[in-house]
Amino acid sequence: MAHLLTPAPVAAQHMVRMRLAIMRNSLRGDDASNLTAGVSLGVLLAIGTIAVAVLWPAYLPLTLAGWLSGWIFGPLLFGGGSEALRPEYFSMLPATPRQVAVALLAGAFAGPAPAVNLLALMSLPVYGWRFGPVGVLVGLVAAVSTLIIMVMISRVFVALIGLFVRSRLTATTVGVLIGTAIALCSNGWALAAALGGTDTAAWFETVFRVLPSGWGVAAVEASWPLALAILVAGAGVIGLLLAVWARLLSRRVVSAVRGGVPSRRGTPRPLPATTSGARITAAKELRAWWRDLVRIQLLATAFSYAIVTPLLLLAIDAWIMVPFTGLIAIVMAASSSANLYGADGTALWLTLMTPGAERSDVRGRQLAWLLAVGPPAVLLSLAGTLVSGESWAWPWVLGLLPALLGGGAGLIVLLGVTSLVPGTDPHKRGGNPLSTGADESAETGIAWLVLIAVPTTALPAAGAILYHPLAGIAAGLLTGALSMWGFGRIAYRRLESRGIELLNLMKHGPAPTPDKPTTADLPVQHRIGVMICHLIAWLPLFPQGVAPLFMKIFGVEGPSWFLALHLPSMWQWPTIIAMIATGLLMYGYAFLIPMRLSSSSTAPTS
Amino acid sequence: MPTTREPALRTTGLRKVFGDHVAVDDVDLTVPAGSFYGLVGPNGSGKTTTLAMSVGLLRPDAGSAEIFGVDVWRDTVRAKELIGVLPDGNAMPERLTGREVLTYLGLLRGMEPAVVAERADELLRVLELDSAERTLVIEYSTGMRKKIGLAIALLHAPRLLVLDEPFEAVDPVSAATIRTILRRFAGNGGSVIISSHVMALVEQLCDHVGVISDGRVVAAGPLADVRGGGSLDDAFVDLVGARTGGAEGLAWLTS
Repeated sequence: MAHLLTPAPVAAQHMVRMRLAIMRNSLRGDDASNLTAGVSLGVLLAIGTIAVAVLWPAYLPLTLAGWLSGWIFGPLLFGGGSEALRPEYFSMLPATPRQVAVALLAGAFAGPAPAVNLLALMSLPVYGWRFGPVGVLVGLVAAVSTLIIMVMISRVFVALIGLFVRSRLTATTVGVLIGTAIALCSNGWALAAALGGTDTAAWFETVFRVLPSGWGVAAVEASWPLALAILVAGAGVIGLLLAVWARLLSRRVVSAVRGGVPSRRGTPRPLPATTSGARITAAKELRAWWRDLVRIQLLATAFSYAIVTPLLLLAIDAWIMVPFTGLIAIVMAASSSANLYGADGTALWLTLMTPGAERSDVRGRQLAWLLAVGPPAVLLSLAGTLVSGESWAWPWVLGLLPALLGGGAGLIVLLGVTSLVPGTDPHKRGGNPLSTGADESAETGIAWLVLIAVPTTALPAAGAILYHPLAGIAAGLLTGALSMWGFGRIAYRRLESRGIELLNLMKHGPAPTPDKPTTADLPVQHRIGVMICHLIAWLPLFPQGVAPLFMKIFGVEGPSWFLALHLPSMWQWPTIIAMIATGLLMYGYAFLIPMRLSSSSTAPTS
Repeated sequence: MPTTREPALRTTGLRKVFGDHVAVDDVDLTVPAGSFYGLVGPNGSGKTTTLAMSVGLLRPDAGSAEIFGVDVWRDTVRAKELIGVLPDGNAMPERLTGREVLTYLGLLRGMEPAVVAERADELLRVLELDSAERTLVIEYSTGMRKKIGLAIALLHAPRLLVLDEPFEAVDPVSAATIRTILRRFAGNGGSVIISSHVMALVEQLCDHVGVISDGRVVAAGPLADVRGGGSLDDAFVDLVGARTGGAEGLAWLTS
């Protein structure tokens, strides 16, 4: 044979070089600066992890579990994971799937995320220092093996989703998993509090050491024969994961990926014979809600988060959230629907080429969203309020329900056309059927914006409820209808005047305007600040601000984890106000700083 | 009211710059009403950009486009009633079947439901897409996507068809079907513009050609005038000043 197979280490080297070359070539402008900010934030978190190992070692397993969950849920929440090196590129190489998998794995490590994670895992030898030199050595070995295991789990997880999410059932399952995970992250404390009181309880320690992220801690703490056994077991798991991954990769390469299309039986129901443009678009959109796995997964995430959150609080016998299940679902569903224009991609050309179709398109999308989200949300609200027996909640539920539904239906189309994040056209996507290929950090930014903006549209209704319950319901209906009509009107006007620019944004990406500074030009410390604010500003605003505010107004007992309610009563109101102010300030900073920068420039577009 | 004496398409000084790259540079084209016009040029010469600006899908930096005398950028709605467009590589409502796409767009245009149903049925049958009744557009092959795109362009019986690379990735049998449809359309007074880099096809179908190279029109007019005595292929290579490569190097491949 003329060409011998490249030996594995050499192939791995090439893969690393290729990955770095791709990264270098794709790092232009915004991306490069995003990367710098992301890496800086990661390094801060990694240093924080090491600090935990030094100062509060009892929490190290929990902290490392956080890193593991990042590897698992990161690719789910933020698109398809790193697909810089696709297995399809190498499918014609004369090599076994295992050889390709090993080489790809090497490529997977050539990036900033594993490096940052390795820094975080240096907390293991630091923790091992307490147990002498052997502890440090075990910690070092464990750090490397834990890193490999985390990356491998992430890869296997992504590969599983890419291969097996082919039906509504699997898409829903993934959605429920994500929704539950987010609910656990934000309100899991209730469950922990109910189960065992303190965080250093025995079960707590065991759980986080049994997770793969905790094996390193377990090994460091164990006697050296046991430590050796744990490390060897870790190596075994790596081998196993590699074998699984290789099989998944080889199946992926030879199976046709069709952008997440559920199987169908029978001829589809005909579209309604109507001459109302909004109704016909709504019929089209409803079919998309039912046939697009991405949308099914997003709705499943929204509703499972809304249902699991109040259930978790039931663990500490707090029924206060149960009536609001439907309202939470509306806000979550709106936040995941804000980039539907981006997700549909260049299909917008058909709307633009059909005379006068912009208005129908916007109205139809609003109608379809209401029909997809409204009925289950109404049902959850009514059932939740009835079952909980919290009769004080009726005016709130009935007043806020129409306000939020209308606000959501208005804002999703408004943001859809004003803050569109371009993705990959549906027919050109591959790999992960649940990824739209859009820039994840930008999409997340929009989602957060909706989480703030939709409740804001319900503020007038909330004020009216405090005044009189019936006035609240009337105000809710009125503001809901107004938001939907008004925001929708701005949206289609905008689509009429700037639709072509949106289309070309999706076709060619943002137009290169060299004179115009972008968020990429923000100094790195501001970018990190903006990122952190996006991540945590909701904490002071909602759970620590708005929630205790309502609890105080209604005289609900039980301080649970609301800081303000633990304080002497004279400090409670100031604390609540300070928390809300902090949250608003953080959001203001996160949104205004980048905006101020882009508006201070003169737009050279004609 | 647009009259038949107005050209089907007239562009004046169309210009588009992407970054530092001048994609279309001062393009003047006149497509006579009732003509079958072929726009040819090498890859990346600006054909697609010119067509997108002519139909209202890309805002020009300068210049104007008129369809039967209606300014595309001033009276957009009226211009769009007159044309059917097949752009290259755009997405569609991917989660609908072919019939659903046609029904949806027909109704959205305000056509009568019965008319839409009848035309959709006929288009699907003639373009042999009726067997894929349960297939969503996202599952269509490249050739099927071209055909459903053509059906969309024809649905409202436009007076001008603007087709970007309509024969790319289409099998020979379907290509023959499409050619027949287009000839009938042109034969009955419709105007057609196609872009292509297959010269034989343009020679066979078109009565007028425009040659674009590096964003400029280097020749335009009746087919016979542009190609002179020789074939369009030879005229094209002469006009764009291309040098055919492939004869040098690669010794290891032939040894």
